[in-house]
Amino acid sequence: MSTAQSYGPRPWTFYVLATLFTLFVIFLYGPMIGVLILSFQGPSASLVFPLREPSLMWFDELFSPRRTGDVVGAFNRSLPLAFLVMVLTVLISVTAGFAFRRRFKGATAIFYMAIASLIVPGLVLSIGILVTYRYLGLTASWYGSALGAHLSWALPFGLLIMFAILGRLNPSYEEAAHDLGATKWQTVKEVVIPIVFPGMIAVALFGFTLSYDEFPRSWLTVGTRNTLPLEIWTMTTNVTSPALYALGTVTTVVSFMVIAIALSSIFLIQRKRSRQT
Amino acid sequence: MNNTASKLTGTTPAAESGEIRLIGLSKKFGSSYAVENIDLTIPHGSYCCLLGPSGCGKTTILRMIAGHETPTSGEIYIGEQMVVGKTPVERGTAMMFQSYALFPHLSILDNVAFYLKMRSVGKEERRRKAEEMLRRVQLHHLKDRMPAQLSGGQQQRVALARSLITNPRVLLLDEPLSALDEFLRLKMRGELKSLQNELGITFVHVTHTQPEAIALADMVVVMDTGRIEQADSANVIFNSPKTPYVARFMGGQNVLTGTVESSSAGSLRLKAANGAIFEAAAALAPAVQGSPMSISVRRDRITLRKRRAGEKTAAVNEISGVVEATEYQGSYVKVTLDLGGGVFVANVSDGDYFAEPVGRGDPVTASWRTADVHTLAKADTGSANESFLDPGH
Repeated sequence: MSTAQSYGPRPWTFYVLATLFTLFVIFLYGPMIGVLILSFQGPSASLVFPLREPSLMWFDELFSPRRTGDVVGAFNRSLPLAFLVMVLTVLISVTAGFAFRRRFKGATAIFYMAIASLIVPGLVLSIGILVTYRYLGLTASWYGSALGAHLSWALPFGLLIMFAILGRLNPSYEEAAHDLGATKWQTVKEVVIPIVFPGMIAVALFGFTLSYDEFPRSWLTVGTRNTLPLEIWTMTTNVTSPALYALGTVTTVVSFMVIAIALSSIFLIQRKRSRQT
Repeated sequence: MNNTASKLTGTTPAAESGEIRLIGLSKKFGSSYAVENIDLTIPHGSYCCLLGPSGCGKTTILRMIAGHETPTSGEIYIGEQMVVGKTPVERGTAMMFQSYALFPHLSILDNVAFYLKMRSVGKEERRRKAEEMLRRVQLHHLKDRMPAQLSGGQQQRVALARSLITNPRVLLLDEPLSALDEFLRLKMRGELKSLQNELGITFVHVTHTQPEAIALADMVVVMDTGRIEQADSANVIFNSPKTPYVARFMGGQNVLTGTVESSSAGSLRLKAANGAIFEAAAALAPAVQGSPMSISVRRDRITLRKRRAGEKTAAVNEISGVVEATEYQGSYVKVTLDLGGGVFVANVSDGDYFAEPVGRGDPVTASWRTADVHTLAKADTGSANESFLDPGH
């Protein structure tokens, strides 16, 4: 009897929550999978299901800029920009994280100032940067004004992650290293960085993806040449072919590749580490 | 090889003395003192335990000796060297952390070899030395494991090996046994003691457990809120505590207070508030008639007998109360008496106890010999019921 009870039926809340979660997953991945399938549409097909005469022609279309706009150029700006944002976010978050471990005067004020940029609406920031650039007589560009705008978005996330990770780092690791004769720099290089490395990868991922698909902060700050999200937006207004879906598929694949590279690098480094002496 | 050997001993000559001298040492955190004006000499090659409740400053002292905390004022000497401002390696100290602080990203072998790597010792060389050290702590077979894959006792041995590879004059241990279960604690306690014997270097061991200190230490330093209450051999601390605090903290003692009735050469008479008369052989401090004074009597020196109806306690060195609890401890029975205001404990041998058993609520009289009375240098000021004062043995 008692066994029957402990292995009894699941409570009704289980079914409610399971349904909610299923709907959530369908909502999350359904459209993406739809776009993925439709990007293989044939020449005679329209923008909607069913899929007819599967082909790769829209991918070809995408990379030969006849009617679809400068997709290749947009990639060539978005990828380096995301990479730059990633590197800078990691560098600044890690060093700031170290600085904030020892409470210095004005630390709290600086922290809130950095975090405040999370709540400033992106479009407003974009306009503000453009106006300021005009006033100063500078030209907006993806590697200048847009880089700054993206950092204002990616950095607070990086800082928050790094603070959480370094806050959890037991100071006795550093003391033990000091005890064993390590210099400050050796302690950082041999002990602290390796321990927080997975966190740094997380910060890098955030930096990359936040920049890669950023729209509002890019809108007015990229200057005359579009980044990828802006290019996609332009295409939705004037391209009505499955090339749009092909572009969606390609950008999604790039995002997944970045995540895969990040995760496998963590895995490889940890494996290498456990072997090395 | 020779090159490395000289490198290893270059800054920490093993032959140098591991005597530690603290002179007027203080440490302030904010506006309050964690350690206040401490003077202490720990002889070379001794096993010293810093003992006290949490927050008494014992760990702060250890960390100042280790160089992980800078004193607010005062001096620290190790051997002939004034070491304030020096790095741990220059001091010739090595510290074992409470959580062991093994580097989670390095294998056991790399953890042990860390010190050598920091000194740019070649890979082959440091591998060999680290393996040698791991063999000494009998963990060679686990050298490729990661710290998280080891048990608590094994982690502790790795931490020991990692500290000892620096060839220290002084090994500092911060509550090294507190993370272990009871069985392992006793085992590692024995291992620490024999390791210290074998190495002949100074061990300073911070603990809040009295039996640990008594079992290990040549020198026990009992601390209370930033000050040293008493620093002596375990035997002296246990049998001749100087203050009521030490007597209570070490456990195994009953502290009784009275006013001095009469005092002559070699003899002292106290009268307690409830009228009981205590006699002692001699006072540590000069006894002024009418002044309050405290004495201590070991729990295992008490004789109990049942009080018969109508009996009055008139005899000297007797006190009467009601049994509050009895606790069987194997070789003895711990009998707690309620004195109608204070608590008194008698550890009665199991033979005596079962010859005339007493139970909860029985009126009893406790007595002891004058020779077993020890006078304390300070009169008791209360705080008898703080939980840490009764470790229960």
